[in-house]
Amino acid sequence: MRSDSLTVLLLGSVLLATACAAVKPWERDQLARPEMAWDPDPLEAAQRSHIHFSREASIGGGDAGGGGCGCN
Amino acid sequence: MRDLRRQNRAARRRARHRKGSLRQRKGVLAVLSASALLLPGLARAQEERWSVDYGYSLYSEDNIDSSKLLAGSAQRYEIDTHQLSMRGPLTGRLDFGLDIVQEAMTGATPWFIEPDAQGKPMVVMTGASIEDTRTDFLGHGTYYLDTARLNFASGYSTEDDYQATNFSFGTEHDFNEKNTTLSWGAGLSLDTLDPTPTATNADPSQEDKRTISLFTGLSQVIDRSSTFQATFSYQNGSGFLSDPYKLVTIGGTHPADSRPDSRNQFAIGGRYRRHFERVMGTLHADYRFFIDDWSIQSHTVELAWYQSVFELFTIVPSVRYYTQSQADFYGPYFVTSPGEYASSDYRLSPFGALSEKLRIETRVSDWPFHMAWKLGASYERYQSSGSLAIQNVDVENPGLVSFNVFMLNLSARF
Repeated sequence: MRSDSLTVLLLGSVLLATACAAVKPWERDQLARPEMAWDPDPLEAAQRSHIHFSREASIGGGDAGGGGCGCN
Repeated sequence: MRDLRRQNRAARRRARHRKGSLRQRKGVLAVLSASALLLPGLARAQEERWSVDYGYSLYSEDNIDSSKLLAGSAQRYEIDTHQLSMRGPLTGRLDFGLDIVQEAMTGATPWFIEPDAQGKPMVVMTGASIEDTRTDFLGHGTYYLDTARLNFASGYSTEDDYQATNFSFGTEHDFNEKNTTLSWGAGLSLDTLDPTPTATNADPSQEDKRTISLFTGLSQVIDRSSTFQATFSYQNGSGFLSDPYKLVTIGGTHPADSRPDSRNQFAIGGRYRRHFERVMGTLHADYRFFIDDWSIQSHTVELAWYQSVFELFTIVPSVRYYTQSQADFYGPYFVTSPGEYASSDYRLSPFGALSEKLRIETRVSDWPFHMAWKLGASYERYQSSGSLAIQNVDVENPGLVSFNVFMLNLSARF
């Protein structure tokens, strides 16, 4: 089941990538808006993922990093 | 041609909103283009200016309900966090950044769970005496090639009873006229635990833990107003993965929390961003599926809406839903020995959690001190329970946590 969903995801991503017409640099006014970033507020995002990671059993999905526990 | 006219109209509309001096408009543009650097799908370019960010957060857990408390302090954790982050260009192709985090924690935490006369699980909390400070340093750099970036980082985190050193390396490659970015990374964390002596363990031994992580992601610009990212990550933890401050109840005895010395974790995630120009709003939709070899599976969904108000404020309501199944060696308490491993940690129990958050931010360019400023504040309410889980939970862990987080951040770009 795990490898199946991974295959679907990868295939889907590749299809998506090839199906999209390239957006030119001068057409990127909307893409360049700050709120279009993956994490518009990196400090807040880092703090939140640390909180969720230390109170739940899951990790990953974004670019996880950093160290320490603060887990009590 | 029609596109061009539409673009012109949009540009005029934006210009009207931004009434102000030319210098101010330049400032907005600088902020806009600088934040575009954070977009992997947009082929991040090098930082042009130095920036400093400061964040404060106050995390406060609800007191434990008296109907679930058998003994110990009802007052749970409170954490005060200060974050400071600096980054900017060192040379023509190299950026450098330094992040410092300091946390001060006080309060009580679940120690073990004991059934009452009816068999209902009740928490025994620690005393309210736990106090700890964590300091975390992270240095990171990016080296820019024409269509690729190399990222490297190293950090050190220390608290009274826990030290961690970590290293990571990764690359990002742009393809397809910079509409596609493929990234990967690897990380290593070496941790040492020095548990403080407790009533039941006067002389705990020092323990080690090692975590290896691998990460790969694909970011794709879909069209002029939307992007998508797919990620896959793997983590392997080995060494001492138990909680040195928790006990379990097995038929009236209280041995220490004991978990396997290896854990393999996988996560698949998708993130979608779409800007709606007509209403000046942006949708964020994130999903993550997680699975590990302790037989925990989880789903996380998060939706956020960024509403710009005349380009003066941005209001961001968001909601996050999380649900997980339990570890195979978990139980609220045990009547007979479950085997080699046993834990009653609420983090390994089956539960669901719902949180709502509201953030407000404002950007000011070029004033004061000719710097670009961003000020933001947010409030988040997080509640977890057995009934919020996707599956049926027979016995809810009485230690499940609910909390409030208040955050404030200020950033300045020179």
